[in-house]
Amino acid sequence: MTHAATIERALLAVFAVGMVAVPWLVPALFNQFWVSVIAEILIWSLFAASVNLLFGYVGLLSFGQALYFGFGMYGVAIGIADFGLPFWPAFALGILAAMAMALVTGIFAVRLTWHYFAIITVVFSLIFYFLALTNKWLTGGDDGINFTLPPTFQLGAWQLSFTDATFQYLFILATVAFCFWLMHRLIQSPLGKALLAVGDNDVRAALIGLNVYRLRLIAFVLAGFLAGVAGALFAFFGRYASASYMFYHVSGEAVVWTIVGGAGSLLGPIVGTSIFIFVREVVSSQWEHHELIVGLVAILVVIFAPKGLVGLWRDWLAALTEREPHAKDRLQVEPTSKS
Amino acid sequence: MVGTVLTWATLQQTGEFWLAFLIAPLIGFCLGAIIQRVVIQPTSNVAALSIVATFGLSLILQESVRLTFGPTPRRILPPIQGTFSLFGIDYEIYRLFAAMVAVLALVGFFLFLHRTKLGTWMRAVRHDRDTAIAMGIPAQRVYVFTFAIGFALAALGGVVAAPITTVDFRGGVDILPFCFMAVIIGGLGNLPGTAAAAILLAVLEGIIQSFADPTAARIASLVLMSAVLLLRPQGLFKGLTR
Amino acid sequence: MSEPVLHIEGLTKRFGGLSAVDNLSYTLAGGRLHAIIGPNGAGKTTLFNLVSGLLAPDAGRIFFCGRKISGLKPHEISRLGIKRTLQIKSVFPRLSAAENLWITAQAENRFLHPFRAAAQDRSIAEKVDRTLERVGLAHLAHRQAGTLSYGDVALLEIGMALISEPRLLLLDEPTCGMSPAETERAVENIRAVARTIDIVIIEHDMEVVFEIAADITVMAQGAILASGSPQEIAADERVREAYLGRPEDEDYVEEAAHA
Repeated sequence: MTHAATIERALLAVFAVGMVAVPWLVPALFNQFWVSVIAEILIWSLFAASVNLLFGYVGLLSFGQALYFGFGMYGVAIGIADFGLPFWPAFALGILAAMAMALVTGIFAVRLTWHYFAIITVVFSLIFYFLALTNKWLTGGDDGINFTLPPTFQLGAWQLSFTDATFQYLFILATVAFCFWLMHRLIQSPLGKALLAVGDNDVRAALIGLNVYRLRLIAFVLAGFLAGVAGALFAFFGRYASASYMFYHVSGEAVVWTIVGGAGSLLGPIVGTSIFIFVREVVSSQWEHHELIVGLVAILVVIFAPKGLVGLWRDWLAALTEREPHAKDRLQVEPTSKS
Repeated sequence: MVGTVLTWATLQQTGEFWLAFLIAPLIGFCLGAIIQRVVIQPTSNVAALSIVATFGLSLILQESVRLTFGPTPRRILPPIQGTFSLFGIDYEIYRLFAAMVAVLALVGFFLFLHRTKLGTWMRAVRHDRDTAIAMGIPAQRVYVFTFAIGFALAALGGVVAAPITTVDFRGGVDILPFCFMAVIIGGLGNLPGTAAAAILLAVLEGIIQSFADPTAARIASLVLMSAVLLLRPQGLFKGLTR
Repeated sequence: MSEPVLHIEGLTKRFGGLSAVDNLSYTLAGGRLHAIIGPNGAGKTTLFNLVSGLLAPDAGRIFFCGRKISGLKPHEISRLGIKRTLQIKSVFPRLSAAENLWITAQAENRFLHPFRAAAQDRSIAEKVDRTLERVGLAHLAHRQAGTLSYGDVALLEIGMALISEPRLLLLDEPTCGMSPAETERAVENIRAVARTIDIVIIEHDMEVVFEIAADITVMAQGAILASGSPQEIAADERVREAYLGRPEDEDYVEEAAHA
C-alpha cells in the first residue's frame, strides 16, 4: 500500500471513532445543538452521495434527486400518519417508494444523455413537486405533515426511540455508515467496475458488449435507494415532511456539495456537505446573508480546484508522499534493430 | 431580476422610468461581460463545473440584491396608464406596449444575428468553433459578447416586466423553468423556434388556467416538455431555422 | 464452404450531402488477414462504425456469418462476436490496465455481481495476466489506464481485443502512435492472433500492411477502388495514383510488386 493510502486509512479510522463519540464529546465541548447539526449533515451527505453515485461514477448529472428524497420522506410520513405503520414498515415503505419511482422515471430518463438527461431529471422532479404542492390532502403541501414517531425498537416496556437524542444520532450514523459501506463494496465489485467503465467511455463500453442502458438504469435505481434512505431518515429526524424539500433547489444544492467535495470519490459528498452546512449554521447566526458565502465558495472551488476538495487533498498528499513519482515506470528506451 | 431591480433603482434616483431602458441593459451588458471572463471561461471545459459556477453565481446575485435592496417586494406603477377595449375585453395599454417592445427586441436581435458581421460570427462559432477560429474569428471575444448580450436582453426584459410583476430579489426563480421550457421545446439555438415555443406555452398555460389552477397549467407544460425531450430533443420547431 | 464471415450489400451512409460510404458491397470469406487502406476520408472508419453498430446505415445490409446484423445495437453486435478498436485510442481511464482487460472479459456476463470483490474469479484473473504478458504490459498492470502513454494505451486496446476472444476483429489503425519497438510487438500479436481469428485491419503504415496482410482492399471516396493480393494492389496503376504514390512507401511497394 502506498504511503498516501496508509495515511488516508489512519485518518479515516480517527474520523470514524470521532463520529461515534459525538453524542458525548460534542455537548461536553460545545453544545447539544451541534449534535443535531451533525446528524443533519449525515443525512444530507447521504443525499449528496446519491448525486455522486450517478455523476462521479457513471457520468450522469441528475438535478432531480430531490424527487426520490421526497418519496422516501413522504413514504415514511404518510405511512405513519395515515396508515399508522410502525417504524420499520414505514422505513421500508419510504425506501421502496423511492426505488420504484427511480425505476419508473429512470426508464425514460436514462435514454437521454448530457444536458438532456440533466434537464429531464429536473422536469420530472418539478412535475411531482407541483403535484405534491397541490395535493394538500395527501402531502400537506408546503406546510407538510407532522407526525409523532413510533419507537424504533420495542421489547415489552423497554423501548428505544428517536426522542432520545443520542439514540437518534447513533441510528442515523449507523444507517449512513452502512450505506457508504455498501457503496464502497459496490465500487469494488464487478457491477461497480462496469459502471465505472460506462462512466469513463460509454462508446467503448458498448463495443465490448456492456448493455449501457441497463447499467445506467441500475445505477439510477441505486441512487434512488440512497436518496430514499436519506429522505426517510430526514422524516424520522424531523417528524415532518414537506413538499418544499422536493424543489429543484434542493437537488441543485446537493450537486454543488458533491462537486465541491469531490465527485467520484467516496467521501467527497461528506466533505462538501459538511462545509456548506457548517458555514450555513455558523454564519447564519451572525449574518443573514450566508448564501453569499455559499455562492462564492462554490465558484472559487470550481475555478481553482475542479477535482473538488478531496481531489485537491489527494493531489497534495500524493505530491508529499511519493518523492519520485513512478520512477520504475519511466519510459524504457528500447534498442531498435529493425531488419 | 436584476433588470427589475435596476429599474426600481433608476426610478428612485431619477424619477424617470424611461431612463431605465438605457441604464439596465447597459449595466446588464457590462455585468455579463465580466461574469463571462471571470466565471464562465475558466469552467467552460467541464459542463458540470460551469453549472455549479452559475448556480453559485445566482446565489450571489440574489443575496447581493437582498442585501442592498431588501427582502420586501416593491411595486412600480406602469408609466403608461389607461386601458382600451378590444372585442369587449379591456386591456391595459402598458401591456400592449410591453408586447411591442418584446416583438421589436426579438426582431431586432434576429436581424442582428443574420444581417450583421458580429451576428454571423456568433452563429459561426456556435456551429463549428474550430473552423471559425481557423478563419480568423476571435471566438473567445465572441463568447464574451454573446454572454453580455444575453444579460442585456434579460435586463431589458426585466425593465419591461417590472411594472407588470413585482420587483423582488426572488424574481429570477419563478421565470427560470419557463425559460428552460421555451428553449428546449423551441430547440437550442433556434431563435424563432424559442419565440414560437414561448408563445405556445403561454397560450397553453393560459387556457388551462381558465379551468384549472395555475399549478396544473405548469404541470401540463412540464409534461409537454418531457415529451419533447424524449421524442424530439431538437425541439418542435426545427424547421424554422435556416 | 460455410457462410462468409462478413457479407455487405449495397451499404450507404450519408452525412448531409456527403456519401461517406457509397453503395458498397464486400465479402470477407475468412481465414486470411485482410487490410483496408485508402486516403483520409475514404470511408474506412465509417465502414467499421456501420459494421459495429455505432452508426445505422441509410441503405444496404450487413451479414455476419449469415446472420443480419445491420440495425442491431452495438453491444448486441459485440456479443455476437465482433470486436473492434477505435481510431482514437480509448480505454477506461479510471480503471487499471488489468481492470480494463478484466471488464472486457466480463462484459458479456448477463449478471454482474454487485458486492463480491472483483478480484476473486481465478480463471479470468489468469486470462488477464496472460494477456498482459502477451502485449507486454505486465509491469503496468495496476497503473490507472488514464496515466499510460499513448503507445501503451494502444497495446492495451489490442489486449482488450484479444481477451474478448472475438470471431471477427476489426482493428482501426492499431499501430498509430506506436514506437518502432511497440509496432514490432503489435504486429507479432496480430499475426499470432490471425491464425485463429478473422481480422480486418485499417492501416496507414504501409510497412505493416504489406508485412501481414494476405488480402488488401483499397477504398476511396466511400467505395472500393481495388481488391486483391498485395502484389496485385502494388502493381495496380489506379491505386498508385490514388494512394500509393508517395516516396517513402515506394520501397515496399516495389518489393511487393515484384515479389
